[in-house]
Amino acid sequence: MPKPPAPGAVRPDLEQVFRASYPRVVAVAAKVLGCQNEAEDVAQEVFLAFGRSSVPAGAAAGWLSVAAAHTALNHIRAGRRRADREEAARDDGLVAPDVADTVVASEDRRRVRAALARLPRRQAVALVLRHSGLSYAEVAAALDLSPGSVGTTIRRAETALREELES
Amino acid sequence: MPHPTDGTLRRLLDEPVGVADVDRAHVAGCPGCLSRLAATQQDAAVASAALQIETAADLDAGWQRLSHAVTAERTRRAVSSAGSGARRRPAGWRMAWRSPIVAVAGVVALLAGAGTAAATNWLQIFHTERIAPVTAPQADLISMPDLSDFGELVVTEPVDVRPVADAAAAAQATGLAVPQVSELPRGVTGEPQYHVSGRVSAVFTFSAEQTARTAAAAGETVPPPPPGLDGSQFRLVAGPGFAAFWSQDRPVPALVVARAGAPTAQSSGVPFDAARDYLLSLPILPENVATQLRGFSADGTTLPLFMSAEKLTSSTADVNGMPATVFASRAGTMAGVVWVDDGTVSAVAGSLSSDEVLSVARNLRW
Repeated sequence: MPKPPAPGAVRPDLEQVFRASYPRVVAVAAKVLGCQNEAEDVAQEVFLAFGRSSVPAGAAAGWLSVAAAHTALNHIRAGRRRADREEAARDDGLVAPDVADTVVASEDRRRVRAALARLPRRQAVALVLRHSGLSYAEVAAALDLSPGSVGTTIRRAETALREELES
Repeated sequence: MPHPTDGTLRRLLDEPVGVADVDRAHVAGCPGCLSRLAATQQDAAVASAALQIETAADLDAGWQRLSHAVTAERTRRAVSSAGSGARRRPAGWRMAWRSPIVAVAGVVALLAGAGTAAATNWLQIFHTERIAPVTAPQADLISMPDLSDFGELVVTEPVDVRPVADAAAAAQATGLAVPQVSELPRGVTGEPQYHVSGRVSAVFTFSAEQTARTAAAAGETVPPPPPGLDGSQFRLVAGPGFAAFWSQDRPVPALVVARAGAPTAQSSGVPFDAARDYLLSLPILPENVATQLRGFSADGTTLPLFMSAEKLTSSTADVNGMPATVFASRAGTMAGVVWVDDGTVSAVAGSLSSDEVLSVARNLRW
């Protein structure tokens, strides 16, 4: 039985897991937040939590992806740092340099974030994980869903997202 | 044959091999299903575009930053376990404060506390005699403010969880009676692992300025606080406590039996009902949470237990004559029961049914 690390200790496989999974964790968080800078902040939080955990190494990839989605959604729902984030979105070079485009792009991202925050949490996480490239089996395992219900959950999320974006 | 479900059509787009041949054949020849498939594809494309973002993660820079954070955290823990008196909250405190058990001692003990403290000495304004569930959508619970949004929190005795060898050691470390489980539920085996924590305490200093800043960040303005509240202090104490875990490396332990000194709050002299009414009136708390707290905050003895409305249901029961709150996940994957007896909170929970946790709770051997 894996034991949790002693207080103050971190698990010895942290660097190995980090190097294997960091790009995926940033990508998952960025899909939620629409911003790489904040996604990197979320990834740090997620790996710090992972370092203190006793999650088996074999389950790390799924755990990290789910944690990235939840933590990113929490960032939105907490309603904090919104202004910082929008500043960062303008500064991080990921949006077109043209001012008008920038405004439009950040407004779109704001709408996507708000729409994700309004979805039922499980739908939002399933949607983000699927669009981050996880298979139906991986999404099912990560969210404790039956494989058959993953498609239904994603379908509902996509319908709701489209309706939110149209409204 | 019946038309495939929406979920099956959705999977057909991503993983056609995961869809039964008979369903694929049906869709290919069914105009209705082809039209549903086209709508599904359109929504999937909208979602894909909406979530599209290129990221280029810098692995080395990321690892360097994490290493620094880990080192800093370790240093803070080392400092904090050296026991050098009052200090700022350590890393993870905010999370600990938000965790289901500890969160109840925070903003909540303050908001639920009552009574008028006329003296200048510390006066007990809140002590736990019973527990009541506060149910709210998870989004509201996540957006609950914590104490640092209203002032400064100085941890005087930090959370310090450590493993101990057995029940006798847990009893000795906490001064609490450690009950034995008479009969383990089906599927739960082996010996438990015991963890203990000493007393946890913190002093909170209310700041009108910090409260105004928090409100401003949420796009709200707040009325000036009642006289005497700005700068007034509250002392929050909980523990010591222990928890016995069976199969603790699983995401949800098979069974947990835990007891801890119930949270109390003390005021340095501000009329507490005025402070409580003020905090409950702020537009920062989700309204449904504030309403539930107002409902039972007058007596200063009921500890709210926050529950996500989406995830948990709650009901009442009794454990050997004491009123108890039973909570169960809607998915049926876990349940727990919590009750208060003479200043101690006890809980039994696990990946069990409500009946099973109640049975364990009622048959504990003291």
